[in-house]
Amino acid sequence: MNTPDKFDLPQGTLDLLIMRVVALGPIHGYAIAQRIQQMSQEALQVQQGSLYPALHRLEYKKLLKAAWKATETGREAKFYELTAVGRAHLKAETENWSRLTDVVGLILKGTLEGIS
Amino acid sequence: MSWFTRLFTRKRLETDLEKELRFHFETQVAEKMRAGIPEGEARRLTRLEFGGMEQIKEDCRERRGTLWLEYLVQDIRFGFRQLRKSPGFTSIALLSLALGIGANTAIFTLVNAIMLRPLPVQNPSELVVFGDGRAQGSTDAIPDGSWRLFSYSFFHDFRKQAASYAGIAAVNSSQVVSKASIAGAPYQTTRIDLVAGSYFSVLGVPAFLGRTILESDDNVPGANPVAVTSYTWFLHHFNGDPSALGKTIRIRSHDYTLIGVARPGFAGASVGQSADLWIPLSMQAEVSPGPNSLDNKFYQFLCIIGRLKPGVKPAQASAETNLHFKQIMRGYLGPNPSQKHLDDIAHSSIELTPGQCGISPMRAGFSLPLEILMTIVALVLLIACANIANMLLARGVARTREIAVRMALGASRGRIVSQLLVESVLLSVAGAAAGIALAWKASVALFRMATPGLNPVPLNLAPDLPVLAFTLGLAVLTALLFGCLPALRATGFEFTPALKDGRGSSSVSARGTLARSLIVGQIALSVLLLVVAGLFVRSLIHLTNIDMGFDKHNVLIFYLDSSTANLPHGTPDEIRSVHLQEQIESRVQAIPGVKSDSFSFFTFNTGGWNDLVLFQGVPRTPANADEVWFNITGNGYFSTMGIPLVAGRTFNAQDTQNSNKVAVINESMARRFFPNGSAIGHRFGVGETPGDPGEKEVIGVVKDAKYTSLGEGSLMAAYFPCTQNVGFFGNFTVRYAPSANEREIVARVRNSIADINPNILVDGVSSLNEQVNQSIAEQSLIARLTSFFGIIAVFLACIGIYGLLSYSVARRTSELGIRLALGAQSRTLLWLVLRESLLLLVIGLAIGVPIALSSTRILKSLLYDLSPLDPVAISVSIVAVAVMTIAAAWLPARRATKINPIQALRTE
Repeated sequence: MNTPDKFDLPQGTLDLLIMRVVALGPIHGYAIAQRIQQMSQEALQVQQGSLYPALHRLEYKKLLKAAWKATETGREAKFYELTAVGRAHLKAETENWSRLTDVVGLILKGTLEGIS
Repeated sequence: MSWFTRLFTRKRLETDLEKELRFHFETQVAEKMRAGIPEGEARRLTRLEFGGMEQIKEDCRERRGTLWLEYLVQDIRFGFRQLRKSPGFTSIALLSLALGIGANTAIFTLVNAIMLRPLPVQNPSELVVFGDGRAQGSTDAIPDGSWRLFSYSFFHDFRKQAASYAGIAAVNSSQVVSKASIAGAPYQTTRIDLVAGSYFSVLGVPAFLGRTILESDDNVPGANPVAVTSYTWFLHHFNGDPSALGKTIRIRSHDYTLIGVARPGFAGASVGQSADLWIPLSMQAEVSPGPNSLDNKFYQFLCIIGRLKPGVKPAQASAETNLHFKQIMRGYLGPNPSQKHLDDIAHSSIELTPGQCGISPMRAGFSLPLEILMTIVALVLLIACANIANMLLARGVARTREIAVRMALGASRGRIVSQLLVESVLLSVAGAAAGIALAWKASVALFRMATPGLNPVPLNLAPDLPVLAFTLGLAVLTALLFGCLPALRATGFEFTPALKDGRGSSSVSARGTLARSLIVGQIALSVLLLVVAGLFVRSLIHLTNIDMGFDKHNVLIFYLDSSTANLPHGTPDEIRSVHLQEQIESRVQAIPGVKSDSFSFFTFNTGGWNDLVLFQGVPRTPANADEVWFNITGNGYFSTMGIPLVAGRTFNAQDTQNSNKVAVINESMARRFFPNGSAIGHRFGVGETPGDPGEKEVIGVVKDAKYTSLGEGSLMAAYFPCTQNVGFFGNFTVRYAPSANEREIVARVRNSIADINPNILVDGVSSLNEQVNQSIAEQSLIARLTSFFGIIAVFLACIGIYGLLSYSVARRTSELGIRLALGAQSRTLLWLVLRESLLLLVIGLAIGVPIALSSTRILKSLLYDLSPLDPVAISVSIVAVAVMTIAAAWLPARRATKINPIQALRTE
């Protein structure tokens, strides 16, 4: 809880972030949290309380699949990777997201011209 | 992985989840230790960061999507444990549920079998019945008003013209019960439906074996002696052997060839009157010989069932049907009809009623009682629900601490409510299972009690799908009714104080209000039910105390069957039947202990025959325009029945076939035709405009005696001697001396009859007393059932009051102790506690009595000589409820006065 500028993620965003991180290759829950933290330059800290339920939901929706593998330290960990459906979903959601942020950004900046 | 496999791999999922989170935790600890934090501190910090491990797990489980099912399984197991933990509560709740749901199921089984179950035929919803399908018997009156019975000619003439129907079938309205012998085997009682050739094809009932009756079987009177059996009869008599086809069945000295077996499950179109055999209507004269024949255009004895063409609206069919009905009837009146007959036909109509449940003469008598009983048992169940809800409320308070702990550990309110509801559903489903077992036997027993008699009324009362669905639905509804409020209440508190003192003090007053209103409701409903019970009981007492006009004691009735005796019908030779009767009468008269005996067409409540009569020289007035009920009797009838003679004489040996035609009439008839003088010597004819005006001379007047039922008004009745109205009449009554041995008399009468003619079979023996009891079987059953349910209702309400007050006394122990210590009299304390229940009682009565007063009107038609606002029934009910309530409150109130102040103060 030592992140000063912690903010709430919009609904559904966490799923997107998780899938983006998992897309890089099989990865376990702890590493996902670390990676998100790093990639957001410490701006985002994912709580375990949100991470694992999200992972389990994505697995249940068959967007992720999981397997138990040994880590570098020799311990067994649950590694997640994207399924084919998950990959397609990630692609579509990423496009959605950038369109949405563009539009929201435009509106917030107040320059609505140029949108057809 | 489907949700199903997930459910069964739950263990593995759980360990995986634990392992996964543990891994995260340990990695995080290791990370911290790498940064130089000592292990103990690292663990503490990580644990802080993690928050509740169990909370995370729960969230993960929830995301799995099968959680509800896992919860359900968990809840059910937990529920079972909880219920086992409090056997007292569980058994009381189960008992009241089994009784409540069982009673509902039993009555619904009857409602379903009698009123709701569709016939096992093709598309039953397309069928319509002409009239209400509740008529039975025959009439030769000109139609006037709503018409229900039809002649064979009408059926055929109508069929030719009706365009709205895909087909029209007919069946005789009163089943023929006769003796039949299969291929020379002994005679057995058999129920026969006479049906038109179109019957099976219109209903869409195929043959299981052989063929059904066809149009060609119903063409020429007497020409096609064929029979189709029901599947049940086929199994019973032929063990399902197909070689039964072609066998000969002998009925009334005619042989019928068995041509087919109807589809299993089909027992005719009449509910409660299932058929063993179907024989074409063309054989009517042979199967059921009598004075009327098929070619009499006004011998109306058939029920007609039509199948509408697809797309034809009932209104359209009704318009067409009535048009043809009037045209055909007008044609039957001949070239010069009287204006009155024309008017009658103009006023008459056929009401088409939905035919999917078939026809049923029984339905008329049972519908209203069943509806009332259904309401009553529903109310009883409601009271039981209120009681269980009250017990659950109390349990909820007792479990406050448990629930508070579980909520503090992260259980959501919904989760706990659903868990409590699962407990309720478990209870009610278990109650329902016991209820079904109870109802299975009870509905059969109830129906048998409602329809006593020698031959059980055939009705399939095995629980079928609609009944089971009804019960299951009822169980769930019941659980929601009694479980919802307590569950919501149990979870709707501030749990910090609850955790602190474990008493849930903040919920107590709210619980009290709810509990009190439940009890007020129970009291109100019990008053209502007791008033209803009181009315039925009082009505029954009135019925049994009425002057029947005959002496029901020491009279035996023998039901004789002459169908195998080959007696002549419709020939001058028919007087032989009367001579046979006279022979039996005089032989039985000689048996020691027999005082008198007589044959008769009817005895009490065995059916009837009525018509208008007209005396010569007496104009028709409103007072005498009612129908007169006839009976045909032997000479000893009046002394056997104990009907006193008022004037003139009864029949004797001088009244022979060739002598002056005579009649004995009752006082009502004499008074209404001759208000100012004697009826003796006057002559009358039978019919609206008698064909033979002065046919019968009145030779005697007897006192009124009940004819059809105890509840009938004063009917006009006339008796004719057997010698002048020949035939074999199956009711043989024997009066014996009170000192005589009844069994011995039965045996000797049987022997005498067999001696005289072995082909006269005794179908059964009953007594006049039994006959009277049977005639009020339905009323006495209703009175007994409503009393039973009324008592249960009051009893349940008392348990409720007792529980509430016991609880409140226990809760106020210290307060009461302080009061005692400060010098309160025990009488004051008694009053303090009783006051509460008296208030509930008064409110309950204030609600219940007006409801009772405004709703008992519905019962009016079922009450004999009793106002639905009978003050006795109402005041007795109020007093009973009041006394029971106060008694239930008294016990805990007494306990309050026995509190030891020292102990009470110490416990706090």
